[in-house]
Amino acid sequence: MALPYLIYVRTCPICKEGLCRVRVCTVSHHLVGCVVCDECESVWTDPDMETRSIEKDDTYTASCPECGLSLWDEACHWADIQEVCLLGWYDKVKVART
Amino acid sequence: MPRSQRPSTESMANVLRVLPARWAITIIAVLIAYVLLQPRLNAWFGWQLPSIPAMLGQETPKTKNTPASKQAAPKQADAKKQADATASQSQSSTTEKPKSSSGSFKYGILKSLGRDRYESPAGLVYGPGSEEGHRLQHIERHLQDDPTRPGSHGVFQGTMEQFLIAIDDTYRRARGHAKGTRTRNEEAETIYEAPFDESIGYLGGSSGRGQKNPPLKQMRVVVRGKNLITAFPIP
Repeated sequence: MALPYLIYVRTCPICKEGLCRVRVCTVSHHLVGCVVCDECESVWTDPDMETRSIEKDDTYTASCPECGLSLWDEACHWADIQEVCLLGWYDKVKVART
Repeated sequence: MPRSQRPSTESMANVLRVLPARWAITIIAVLIAYVLLQPRLNAWFGWQLPSIPAMLGQETPKTKNTPASKQAAPKQADAKKQADATASQSQSSTTEKPKSSSGSFKYGILKSLGRDRYESPAGLVYGPGSEEGHRLQHIERHLQDDPTRPGSHGVFQGTMEQFLIAIDDTYRRARGHAKGTRTRNEEAETIYEAPFDESIGYLGGSSGRGQKNPPLKQMRVVVRGKNLITAFPIP
């Protein structure tokens, strides 16, 4: 379900167009969060965006840094405010109304 | 007169020399009548009678432009002109569903590689991926504005076909290090940028709205290997 707001960290430093947004994977028994550019699909493991996660296969699809599942799988979604808080990343993000 | 046309003219003169005078006069009279009547007969009856110069090889016969010749697939060499031409296209941002009306070519230029993957004339591969499910659907977002989106959102003004041609043109020129192009290598991606002579779109998103949607004259293309990730107009 589309959220009435958009949570993002910053403009993507790779493509300089997309928004680096918080995506969560729910496959594991705990919440796995990462930062994904919604334009070029670059992935970082943390909101400081210091460590990139690059998939090893040739699908060129953003994947969960922990389990390797495609971040566009049904088990993944854009984080809501509650999930961002659970990840402890709330002070690292901006929230924009859409 | 070209050297190649002399033999036919000379042979005709030789034929006339050996013929009786009244035969020669008759043939010449018929030829004159043909020359005078040929264009009128073509006009009246829609015939395609060739002119005398055409029969002698001095002029190519006129043929009507068939729709097939007009709809020939664009050559790579023409990509720049076609992409530039998009700047003067209408303001509408038409999003068209993938089609295979030109044989097996999607959007008229993409060759199917199987498994829902398509290759452009310049060698870019469009495959499954992205939040939208396919790269083609992903870049289609840039055919229309998203005014509420934070930051900028490059909007291409034209059809999907024109967008794909402009992307191909950017990729081809940047890889060839053409004047004004830029190439940047990241860990996994290569980012190509190329300028266009005229505006190819405008700046959208909340940032673009704040600047009254200024025109954009450059394109940025992000690839991994030969796989297109995204592409959009930039300032």
